[in-house]
Amino acid sequence: MAITTLYVCRKDDPEARRLLNRFRKQGYSGLTDIVIERVFYLEGLDSKDEVQKLIPLFVNPVYETYSFESTLEPAEGEIIEIGYQKAIIDPETDSILEGAEALGVKSLEWVKLILRYQFNGIDREEAQKIVERELFDPIVQMIVEPDMIWDSLRPSGEPDKVRYISLKDLDDDGLEKLSKENSWYAPLPQLKAMQDYEEKRNRPFTDAEIEIFVQSWSDHCYHTTWKSLGLLKMLRSATEKINHPLVISIFADNAGGIEFFDDWVITIKGETHNFPSSISPFGGVATKHGGVIRDTMGFGKGGYPIGGSTIMGTMDPFIPESDIPTGALHPAYIVRESIRATAYYCNAMGIPMMQVAYKAHPGYPKCLALGHSIGIIPKKYALKDSPHPGDLVLLIGGRTGRDGLHGATASSAGMSGHSVKRESAAVQIGHPITERKIMEAVPVLRDRGYIRSITDLGAGGISSATGEMGEDTGVRLNLDEVKLKDNSLSAWEILLSESQERMLIALPPENIDAALSLLKDYHIETTIIGEFTGTKRFEAFWRGEKVVDIDMDFLWEACPIEPMVIEEKVRELKASSVPSLDSLQGVEEEFKRILSHYNCCDQSHSGFQFDSTVQGKTVIGPYSGVTGKMPTDIFLSAPLLGKEYGVMTTLAYNPFYGDISPEGLCRLMIIEAVSKAIAAGADPGAIALCDNFYTPKATPEVGWELTQMVKAISELSIKLGMPFISGKDSSSGTFTSKDGDVINVPYTFAVETLCRIPDVRKVVTKEFKGRGNSIIFLGRIDPERLGGSVYLDCHDERGDLLPELSEPYIEELQAIWKRLYELYNRPDNPIKAASIIGEGGTLRRIFEMCYGGQVGAKLDLTEREEAIRCGFFGSIDGLLFSEAIGSILLEIDAAADLEELFNDLPWFKLGMTVEGEDIELYKDREFVRLNMDDLIEAWESTFKKVVE
Amino acid sequence: MATSKIAVLYGPGTNCHEETKFAIEYSGGEAEIISVQALLDGERKLCDYSGMVIPGGAAWGNHIAPDRIFAIHIIAKLKEDIEFFIERGKPILGISNGNQVLMEAGILPFTKVGEGTAAIIQNKSARFESRWTRLIVGEESPFSRGLSGKILRLPIAYADGRVYSNNKPLRAAFYYVDEKGNPSEVYPHNPAASPRGIAGVINSTGRILGMMPHPERAILQSHGSTDGKVIFKNLVELCKS
Repeated sequence: MAITTLYVCRKDDPEARRLLNRFRKQGYSGLTDIVIERVFYLEGLDSKDEVQKLIPLFVNPVYETYSFESTLEPAEGEIIEIGYQKAIIDPETDSILEGAEALGVKSLEWVKLILRYQFNGIDREEAQKIVERELFDPIVQMIVEPDMIWDSLRPSGEPDKVRYISLKDLDDDGLEKLSKENSWYAPLPQLKAMQDYEEKRNRPFTDAEIEIFVQSWSDHCYHTTWKSLGLLKMLRSATEKINHPLVISIFADNAGGIEFFDDWVITIKGETHNFPSSISPFGGVATKHGGVIRDTMGFGKGGYPIGGSTIMGTMDPFIPESDIPTGALHPAYIVRESIRATAYYCNAMGIPMMQVAYKAHPGYPKCLALGHSIGIIPKKYALKDSPHPGDLVLLIGGRTGRDGLHGATASSAGMSGHSVKRESAAVQIGHPITERKIMEAVPVLRDRGYIRSITDLGAGGISSATGEMGEDTGVRLNLDEVKLKDNSLSAWEILLSESQERMLIALPPENIDAALSLLKDYHIETTIIGEFTGTKRFEAFWRGEKVVDIDMDFLWEACPIEPMVIEEKVRELKASSVPSLDSLQGVEEEFKRILSHYNCCDQSHSGFQFDSTVQGKTVIGPYSGVTGKMPTDIFLSAPLLGKEYGVMTTLAYNPFYGDISPEGLCRLMIIEAVSKAIAAGADPGAIALCDNFYTPKATPEVGWELTQMVKAISELSIKLGMPFISGKDSSSGTFTSKDGDVINVPYTFAVETLCRIPDVRKVVTKEFKGRGNSIIFLGRIDPERLGGSVYLDCHDERGDLLPELSEPYIEELQAIWKRLYELYNRPDNPIKAASIIGEGGTLRRIFEMCYGGQVGAKLDLTEREEAIRCGFFGSIDGLLFSEAIGSILLEIDAAADLEELFNDLPWFKLGMTVEGEDIELYKDREFVRLNMDDLIEAWESTFKKVVE
Repeated sequence: MATSKIAVLYGPGTNCHEETKFAIEYSGGEAEIISVQALLDGERKLCDYSGMVIPGGAAWGNHIAPDRIFAIHIIAKLKEDIEFFIERGKPILGISNGNQVLMEAGILPFTKVGEGTAAIIQNKSARFESRWTRLIVGEESPFSRGLSGKILRLPIAYADGRVYSNNKPLRAAFYYVDEKGNPSEVYPHNPAASPRGIAGVINSTGRILGMMPHPERAILQSHGSTDGKVIFKNLVELCKS
């Protein structure tokens, strides 16, 4: 088929300028210019006339020029072309085909977009180095060689035939050998269970059947590690014990839901996508968002997403190249690509950004890539129905390709066709436009009563989605109906493909015509791939063969869960050796180190790249204050336009505390996340929690720690009466470098709160609002407990004592929370601003409050009775930098009677808001003024260095 | 059938139509979301509506260039309908990506469908920008009634917000301003670094407005600004005249 190439250049190209500046800063000082040509490869056009008709689609003559030959002069600099591999359908392809159709061009069959970079002023070697490090992702992209001969742009090939595999008579070694050869990586007890099943059925398995078992029983899908430790049950029973009146749906669905107002339900889900994001960050992070958003759309009979988050844990982005474990990507590259991916996916989805966090820990060569999604759904649709026999299985959205499959034949260089047997992509490039269309259509389908049940396709693809949905009925699939990206997929690949942007609906047959017509209106590709039966069997047909026929009961009940041996680990912790600050004069230098620490610095440079006001529901976004870039620590949305009630979310994530005590980490994260919500005005009686775990691969010691972690969160959630309603665990946080070094992730536990807010107008933001008001410290602090603090990390230490959360203190905190909520609801609420204390300590929050309000603060660190009662005495660094989680800083109206407000609670007056913007510190007769401009400079500079 | 409703156009990927519809209704008008496909299929006719808004959002994924494919559909399939609509003096408002559509399709700045003479191109920062901005009215128009002399606060959210024209000077409807209230080309007051601080463009009759900031996100007290409501009220009034 004829392939036409069209070269387009922009007269003004900021992207090229940005890359030029970045690479020059990285040391390529000889680089004088970068030119980018956008090359459209067009397959199928049958006349010059057709090509000409298409020009307006590709070229706006106001700011673009085009030609049919490249205009780049090779003598001026090295030219390198980069595009997506053939197995990946370019995000632009479908839209371009639609545009061509609008222009009346019918012969265009396929399109690929290749970027052609020219690097002027440097030699070939340097240009290749830049490309390899910054522009080329070998997992998903290819470099187009100049001499490549193009046969077709589309992936092609023939599928393998169905394989029949017998486990009969194999001994343990034989089973394990077979498992390894086929990349099943199934534990021996599972292989034996399958062997028994084969014997009972008296016929060998098909490859598809074994793949279904292996996938359904994998740790990722079946949570075998957690189940063998009894952890899911433990957490679930805690939530059941709380029996919270607002809870609607816990753990059973794709997300958790609590009752909102006026017969609506709000939902939450957090999802990690760590491995793909570590090897191919752009694709990995984009699909992280895509996946968790689909969890909202797959809640009940179809939720509507109203907020999202992005949280990345990597190694220190400033680490020298030589210190990166072999086989890991540079963390700065991961961060940059992840920002690009979040902007690419979430902005196009039109879902406001709630929280943005980038943090570092040396244990993250295998990074943490966490995203949340919250949603809203009418209460009457919040619970799924079970499919009825005869209901149709509807597959909607993107096409099915060889995406995310294990052992798939990896593509070599790409498009020439000389070495490629079949194309595959371990990581995909998400297509947000496809998912956005689904987001539009699902609520309409739901409200018309067409949906019996809906779920997203993620890990395990069609197999997992239909298998789970049809557990009680049985399902029969015709795999020939599944629309494919290329025809070389065999049956097991169709079943297991993890291609993104697909959802599955159980549809009563009487609704089929109306549903198909509606989906067509929304430009959503839809196929009926089978039906639910009454047989309780999982059946699938392909090319005239029955390729799957297994009992649902066996699939879902026979997975052997072996109890896991656990063993307590004794940690060797070292007390801090950082000398205490005994004078105020040393504060400024130390504080600037904290403000410029990667985990505490200004990250708005990324946050401003994510739309936080789309949908018109945002009351408080991730940043506010006079300059608009003070981190708010909360997200507040009024999701029903015109109504004054709202939903608030807050996040707590700390990569350091787990090094000291994973269990302590868990307790602190819950208190931190909840405190953030309550400090802003949330009702302690209307908070639900979402957990995300990321822990090293299971060993007896990891098993012990995990058990302690889950026990801790279960107990604390019961104590607080705040239920966990959703969550996700990943037990794959172990990285093995190519040199054989094993690096475990830090025990990671993140909490996101979901709060129901009766009146958004009563919520208070963090920035100081006026001068002459009191600054109150509410809670307790122990300056000796600097363990896990950013302050100690600045001194390359971790310490041994985390902030304490004793039982009596938690009870005090509950009293504080109750009081705050009462004050927020007074008609004359005296609280003008509030902030929790967390990473970086008290002074960091005072800085943010001052910066946000452009108001100065005067703090008195002198030991005095009321301060001592709260533990506020001792070393200066401890007072200012210990991370007293649970404590809250308040700006209280100057006229308020402080005794009356806080009488029986632990509190003292820390200082006042004052003229100017600087922070003044007093202790006895000593005084120091911290210049705000200097502090801002320290705070702002770090992140920009990583991402610009 | 002719109605007093304002059409809010929707293409696959558009994502600000719901709040735009709400903003119109909250400002006293009636609105209906209609898909481009419904216009192409003849299920809806543009001439039946009293005004038109092209809202923000990445229609057709913003593929190739922002809203290029949306504009292609207008030029190739809806040219006559749009020209008739404009001839009748019915108002058109393009917001953010909608503004890009108007430019790409030539509806702005000089009301020549299919003959674009200006465009909205990538921000100088080469990044998506989501921020609150401060604005003043440029050339007066029916859309800006009641806003002259004021500093407005409206959010922006775009990767491509920079006005590009190598032709006649444009009529600026709004300017981004600095702390002192002066039009600014300086980032981040002007997140796109748009020349002369231009944040919106109006045609010669003053009945077609394209703007990069999002007035529909500044309607309610809880948004932190209600300046957008004035623009929608003016739109509703224009539809009556």
